[in-house]
Amino acid sequence: MKFYHFSEMPYTEISQVDQDKYRGMRAFVPNKLYDPVRGYELYQRYLDEYELADELGFNLMLNEHHQSATGLQVSATMSAATIGARTRRGRLALLGIPLPHHENPLHVAEEVAYLDITTGGRVDCGFVRGTPPEAYPSNLNPIYNQDQFYEAADLIVKAWTERDLFSWEGKFYNYRYVSVWPRPLQQPHPPVWVTASAPSLIIWTAQHGYNLAFLIGREEDTAAIFRIYRRAATDFGLPEPGPDKFGSMVATYVADSEAKAYDVGRKLMWYFETFHERQRATVTPGFFSPHKSVDALRGKLGSIRKLSFEGLIDAGVVVCGTPDQVVKQITRLYEQTGVGHLLCMDHVGEMTSNEVRESMSLFSREVMPAVASLGEQWEDDDIGWRMANDTTPIGSTLASSVS
Amino acid sequence: MPGTTSPARRVVFLHDADVVPGPVGALQRLAEIVDLSLPRHPGFGEFDEVCEDWDSVSDLAMWHLSRLDADGVEPVHLVGAGFGGWVALEMGVRRPERFVSLTLVSPFGVKLSGRDETDFADLLLLDPEELLELGWADSSRATGIRMPGYPPDEDDEADARSFADRAALARYGWRPFMYDPRLARWLGVLTMPRLVIAGDSDRMLAPDHSRRLADRIGAEFVELADCGHFPYLEQPDAFYSAVLGFLSAHDEVGKGDAA
Repeated sequence: MKFYHFSEMPYTEISQVDQDKYRGMRAFVPNKLYDPVRGYELYQRYLDEYELADELGFNLMLNEHHQSATGLQVSATMSAATIGARTRRGRLALLGIPLPHHENPLHVAEEVAYLDITTGGRVDCGFVRGTPPEAYPSNLNPIYNQDQFYEAADLIVKAWTERDLFSWEGKFYNYRYVSVWPRPLQQPHPPVWVTASAPSLIIWTAQHGYNLAFLIGREEDTAAIFRIYRRAATDFGLPEPGPDKFGSMVATYVADSEAKAYDVGRKLMWYFETFHERQRATVTPGFFSPHKSVDALRGKLGSIRKLSFEGLIDAGVVVCGTPDQVVKQITRLYEQTGVGHLLCMDHVGEMTSNEVRESMSLFSREVMPAVASLGEQWEDDDIGWRMANDTTPIGSTLASSVS
Repeated sequence: MPGTTSPARRVVFLHDADVVPGPVGALQRLAEIVDLSLPRHPGFGEFDEVCEDWDSVSDLAMWHLSRLDADGVEPVHLVGAGFGGWVALEMGVRRPERFVSLTLVSPFGVKLSGRDETDFADLLLLDPEELLELGWADSSRATGIRMPGYPPDEDDEADARSFADRAALARYGWRPFMYDPRLARWLGVLTMPRLVIAGDSDRMLAPDHSRRLADRIGAEFVELADCGHFPYLEQPDAFYSAVLGFLSAHDEVGKGDAA
């Protein structure tokens, strides 16, 4: 199993009064609430934590949001460039680049190729649809989000792999002469990741042999999503996918005692509680099917936000406790889902830098060595998620996710 | 009083977003006196395969024009409200000879303000309560409106339909938001008699937007008092009189006993 450090890099100084006034922390919050000096301190802190994570043996996960106080990473490629220059070892997992919100996919292809070269081939490139409210900052039509995602991904991969000039006259992107310089260092291209919870996107990801990540959801939903992928991949004639194809995010805090772990770990709840947005911003028109939109209207999506702290640990959404407890939780997560890449949200909200550093250090010292071998010999493991053993029907309810 | 008149020509009314389909408000009374047609915009009200690839109000305009031609009807009176007003304008500039008159009710479709001002309320973002507040002089009078989550006791199927309607609206009007700059270039070709009707309390559009549009296209302008974005729902009697007065000034419409 491989481990990744992640922080959304939140701006944590928005008062509850302002969160209520502006209906959440994304898309519609005026930047008069942002203090440039405080922002400087936060960026330095977060980047330092990434640097420490690299030294501790974590890989590094970056993402991208726009006009959002919940995440100050404005460009996954810029974050990766900055952190890539400060580090030497960890892989840079861009999870991900919201393709439908970039006007020019060829710029994405160029930037990722540049990044791959300048970091010595450390890039994992994630393609994502972007969260629904991203449609407001980008003003790109959410109706086309899914179709644009597919076309942009196809165009980028073709730009990385095609050796001659080509033209692209698609529905959304139109270029007469394409041949992207430079080429990525990793050939034919960096590993591609996709985040998905909808079956159609999971199946597309499997068909292309891309890796699949699921960001924050119940263990059973993670298992259900990976199950769809495994069956689709083999339906397409690909070999049974192993843990290396799958990533899953958990919010993480480890401490020497259970009391301390729970005391500080409760700060992880910030991620699940700071969410009272305009209903129409979380269900932008056409982003979901009409019936899934009704589910969202009735509060059936993102149901994990209603869980207690203990409930989140039970559901495998939060990994928290002493090193022994956390080893057990991660082992269970592997056994239940077959995940091979654990994306650790080591920092949330108002956790102090010392708290984050202590937890990451302890995780590196006592958790990583105990679970690193999980999945290494998966082909010899007679384990529940293996296709020969897994008779669970494909499920249709993947509604707990918040991403 | 059906049967007391012989409407000279058909009146085509193009509906707004968020308004329930059919002869609501003043349209019921109008239907008794004229040959009123209430066509549905493809994509609204039910799934339409025909419009799966459409992405602009021009597509809707071409569709409605093609239906009129297919029906072989003589030139008609065209009325469009809100989003339907935008469609009506697009139809009018394409085939001005197709229409005896053009009546616009607080229409979207033409941006009149500067680049750092908005002309139209964000009906794709705001909550139902916010939209009712903007769209009605007195939101307690709200009737004939359907949005995702409104009325609050709608069943899942009805709300799913409302979400699909909002998706259709986004398909046609997301960017630029609820207008097309190409339309503004061709407003000069409108030569038929033109009327713009607006409520004095319509905050779905920028202040005086409808009055300024009327000036721009050389239309008569009627402002209805104590009235928001849906005059045919909020002030049906005043709306009926204004429309009938205009139509009959340019046709034989309603000149029988029922007028």
